[in-house]
Amino acid sequence: MNKKGMMIGVVVVAIIAGIIVSVSSSPSETINLDMGRTHGTISTAMGSPILGNPDASITIVEFGDYQCHQCYNWFHNTKPAIEQQYIESGKVNLVFVDLAFLGRDSPKAAQASYCAEDQEMYWEYHDLVYTSQESKIDSGWANSERLKAFAFSLGLDMGLFESCLDSGKYSKRVSFNTQQAKEHGVRGTPGFFIVSSEGQQQISGAQPFTVFKQILDPLI
Amino acid sequence: MIQTIKLVFTNFKYLVLSFSIFVTMLIGLLIMSEYLFLEPYVVSHIPSGTEFGFVLIVMISALSALVLPMNIFRINILKSSKQKMGGGVFGSIIGAAAGACSCGPIGFAVISTFGSVGATATAFLTNYEIPIRIIAIAILSITYFTTVKSLKVECKINS
Repeated sequence: MNKKGMMIGVVVVAIIAGIIVSVSSSPSETINLDMGRTHGTISTAMGSPILGNPDASITIVEFGDYQCHQCYNWFHNTKPAIEQQYIESGKVNLVFVDLAFLGRDSPKAAQASYCAEDQEMYWEYHDLVYTSQESKIDSGWANSERLKAFAFSLGLDMGLFESCLDSGKYSKRVSFNTQQAKEHGVRGTPGFFIVSSEGQQQISGAQPFTVFKQILDPLI
Repeated sequence: MIQTIKLVFTNFKYLVLSFSIFVTMLIGLLIMSEYLFLEPYVVSHIPSGTEFGFVLIVMISALSALVLPMNIFRINILKSSKQKMGGGVFGSIIGAAAGACSCGPIGFAVISTFGSVGATATAFLTNYEIPIRIIAIAILSITYFTTVKSLKVECKINS
């Protein structure tokens, strides 16, 4: 009886140890996705982590491309005010969904952001890529080497990041997001949906803060 | 030069044509380049760092509005050749095409429809937006001066 109990104990301990080892040794294989996550009619399951209060009643879904100049303009001219006035106060949250179509480096840049998410640095990486954007599409500023350099500058585990990026781990995730954009009639980047209990409103282009304010204020 | 402009634009028909070209090109290009939005509200803004692009759009619209009616005047009134008109139209088209694709509402449709060829074309038009607009302004300027010169000769205007 004691022998049998010991055997079971050893097996249980071995299983637990195996789980712990597998989780700790290969975090890159852990994809923490809520597959059922939707905002309005948009599946954001494959999009970015939520920026801001996850329980906020209003969500801004942004469709963007890391090589898009207008996305860069919105990131620098409009987003800071939205973050300051609505996201930081917990009234609104934001999800970024890739519409990576502008050049051959666009899908890779989007994939790289999810490789950074594996190490819980999605938004830091996202911000760094937009801050580092150069004016020419596919000029090399967002090629694999530069994407890895961005990861290095953020202090990410380079072994994990490189294996993630080189393997194309998130290529299907990015394709799924681009498909979501097409299905929702997004014609260019950046494209936005303001999703609330009252429905969802589409905004096309890098529109100024005043437009977002006019839409958001009555919903709060 | 002023006499030549007066000669064309004292005719109300050419003044209306010029105004129409200017307004149509300006509004169209401002929408395409996302300086002007019509939905959900009519709003215009010039993001910081894009001021030069805005100035170039205004210049292309103004030069097109000047050059095209003058050449139409030459063809209609003086029955001159259409060669110079080609320069004006070409300058206007390449000026309009520069930067009008890429991220904007046309870019995704162009790339979706034409695939890699469309992607290469939109990337080129976006990457070289400013130089292309400057070239368009140069073409329109040259066309303007040659048109004025030929109108002086053809209409025997004393300078």
